[in-house]
Amino acid sequence: MPEIREEVLKDDIFSIRDIIDSQLETSDGVRIGRVADIEIERHADGTLHLSALLVGPQALAARLSPELRTLAHWLFRDRFDHRITLDDVESFGPTLRLRRRAEDYPIGQSERWIAKYLLRWLPGSGY
Amino acid sequence: MRARSTPGVVAGLALLLLLIWPALSGCQFAQSSFASTASSAGSAFSAAATTLTFLHQGRLSRRYAASSFVNFKAELAGLDRQLPTLNGAPGKATLRHLLVLYRPAMQAVNAPCLDMACDWQAQIDALNRASKAFLGAGGS
Amino acid sequence: MKKWFSIALGIVTATGGFLDAGTIATAGESGAKFGLGLIWAVIIATAAIILLVEMVGRFTAVSKKPYAAAIRENFGFRFFLAPLICEIIAESLMLAAELGGVAIALSLLTGISWHYLFPVAALLVFAMAWRAPFDWIENGPAILGLVTLSFIAGIIALGGLPHDTLPTLWRPPVKSGDLADYLYLVAATLGSTISPYLLYFYSSGAHEEGWSGSSLLLNRVTAFLGMGFGSMGSIAIIVLGAIVLRPLNISGSTLGEVGLPMAKAFGVIGTTLFAVALFATCFGAALEVVLGVSYLIAQGFGWEWSENKKPVEAARFNLTLILFLLVAVLIGLRGTDPLQLALLASTVIALELPVALFPFLVLMNDPQYLGDKINGRWTNIAIIVILLLACIVALISLPLEILSGGG
Repeated sequence: MPEIREEVLKDDIFSIRDIIDSQLETSDGVRIGRVADIEIERHADGTLHLSALLVGPQALAARLSPELRTLAHWLFRDRFDHRITLDDVESFGPTLRLRRRAEDYPIGQSERWIAKYLLRWLPGSGY
Repeated sequence: MRARSTPGVVAGLALLLLLIWPALSGCQFAQSSFASTASSAGSAFSAAATTLTFLHQGRLSRRYAASSFVNFKAELAGLDRQLPTLNGAPGKATLRHLLVLYRPAMQAVNAPCLDMACDWQAQIDALNRASKAFLGAGGS
Repeated sequence: MKKWFSIALGIVTATGGFLDAGTIATAGESGAKFGLGLIWAVIIATAAIILLVEMVGRFTAVSKKPYAAAIRENFGFRFFLAPLICEIIAESLMLAAELGGVAIALSLLTGISWHYLFPVAALLVFAMAWRAPFDWIENGPAILGLVTLSFIAGIIALGGLPHDTLPTLWRPPVKSGDLADYLYLVAATLGSTISPYLLYFYSSGAHEEGWSGSSLLLNRVTAFLGMGFGSMGSIAIIVLGAIVLRPLNISGSTLGEVGLPMAKAFGVIGTTLFAVALFATCFGAALEVVLGVSYLIAQGFGWEWSENKKPVEAARFNLTLILFLLVAVLIGLRGTDPLQLALLASTVIALELPVALFPFLVLMNDPQYLGDKINGRWTNIAIIVILLLACIVALISLPLEILSGGG
């Protein structure tokens, strides 16, 4: 699991600012969402490590205000929020590439649900 | 985001001034409700008259005219009830005069004479008379 | 050879696509009410949109990022919410106005009431947005929109400008009590021409077509010549209104009235040309509005998006598109006259212009995205001045107009 120390976190390439809000792309080139927030742990030796990426409406709401976070939790009930561990990330950069294919991730499941239950009934949807 | 600075304060004051200026100056910024509604009605009657005239001059198709009259109807319907209640309405005599002209003009708008079979010239005249009166009442 | 063809097509598209419900509405009322007295606003607005379109093309070509994605990535989600919410409100209104324009055009051609044709318009726009590739969407309606150049022929057929109308160019006939109306039209003129949806649309389009640094010339020429020519359609409508409508005291407050000068010039053919121009321009604009705002949302949230993919391959993007069309139909069902709705939507846009475009200006000066192709100082100053003007005028006139019961 890649370790990223706090000093490196301040560097241009791996700063929090560059990871948050970045585009997530799967190994088959599908855009599934953006990083809403990150999870950091403090290890015994005092260094901070990036442990996971958070995606979903509740994580976004949490960035705005605590009240909105509660409201979002009540609305979405954790169904749309997901954690991506760092070993799933193949490369960092302006776009974060993930190791697996789109259907292997629960993120963006709404995309498949919408395609399957809503859009397919319209002619020409390509379903 | 830049920190607030003097240019920001100056801009804010200028904006405030611009917003209060209508109230401070003696300039009449907007017409009274009655004047503006009467002017709009006068314009609409004129447009209806012109549309009907052009139709019978062969400059418009029947479809174009029919479509236009739908909009004139929407704009002018219910004006006889609305006008007396508006801010800035004139005295009873003027209002009565307007309403007398309104009725035949509104009949023309509701049932415009799009064929040769009816008296379209009379309709055009009624519309023009109403237009003139309403525009006058609106202060144009 | 292919490059020249692209440039020619770009100019044609920008010319034919310049007008929309908003610009036709503002030009129509401007000419009828104030003669040539609002042409200065059209010129300023055109200058602004030329600069902005050139900038956004340059931005996406060099940085390879569509505009909305750049806002979210550079400023963060919280900041992104401000233009997002403003745009959702403003463009819902604008979409309803454009569909209204299409409905009125169909109504003028068929004689059927526009209320029934409004959902038909929405359906047509949906059909094209659903399946047509980006190329068709960008070029199709716009080429048909070239019909607007017939308005210039109309001016000539009517014998040009009468002597006494020319002074209204530098001395607008604003009587006491008309000032609120005049300012409302200034704001609406600025808002209808300087439309943020265009920037989201163009930026995404540049991305879809794979623009790069070598496309910068194409971009610049398209913006300057195309929009320059296009603005002539707008000025032509003003002049036609000044020549025919103003002497008759017609205020141009419905779209059918705006077509009357063409009836005087060319008879039935003239009105057909007008209706076709109205249809093509509003239809094209409706596509650009609904796609522009859907691009903003999809790119901002990191979803799949593209007009060149099958709908199920960009499900959330296409669902957003459908939802906006439904909302627009609901707004249209209220029955507000499409021209008045277009004026209102344009003024609301003028009001939110600084919020929608401030991030853009910052990005255009960021070497991280643009290398050495960042904005010059005078470009920045010009844009800031115009945006502030639009916002201030909208702030003053919108409440006044609503209070006085609307034009």
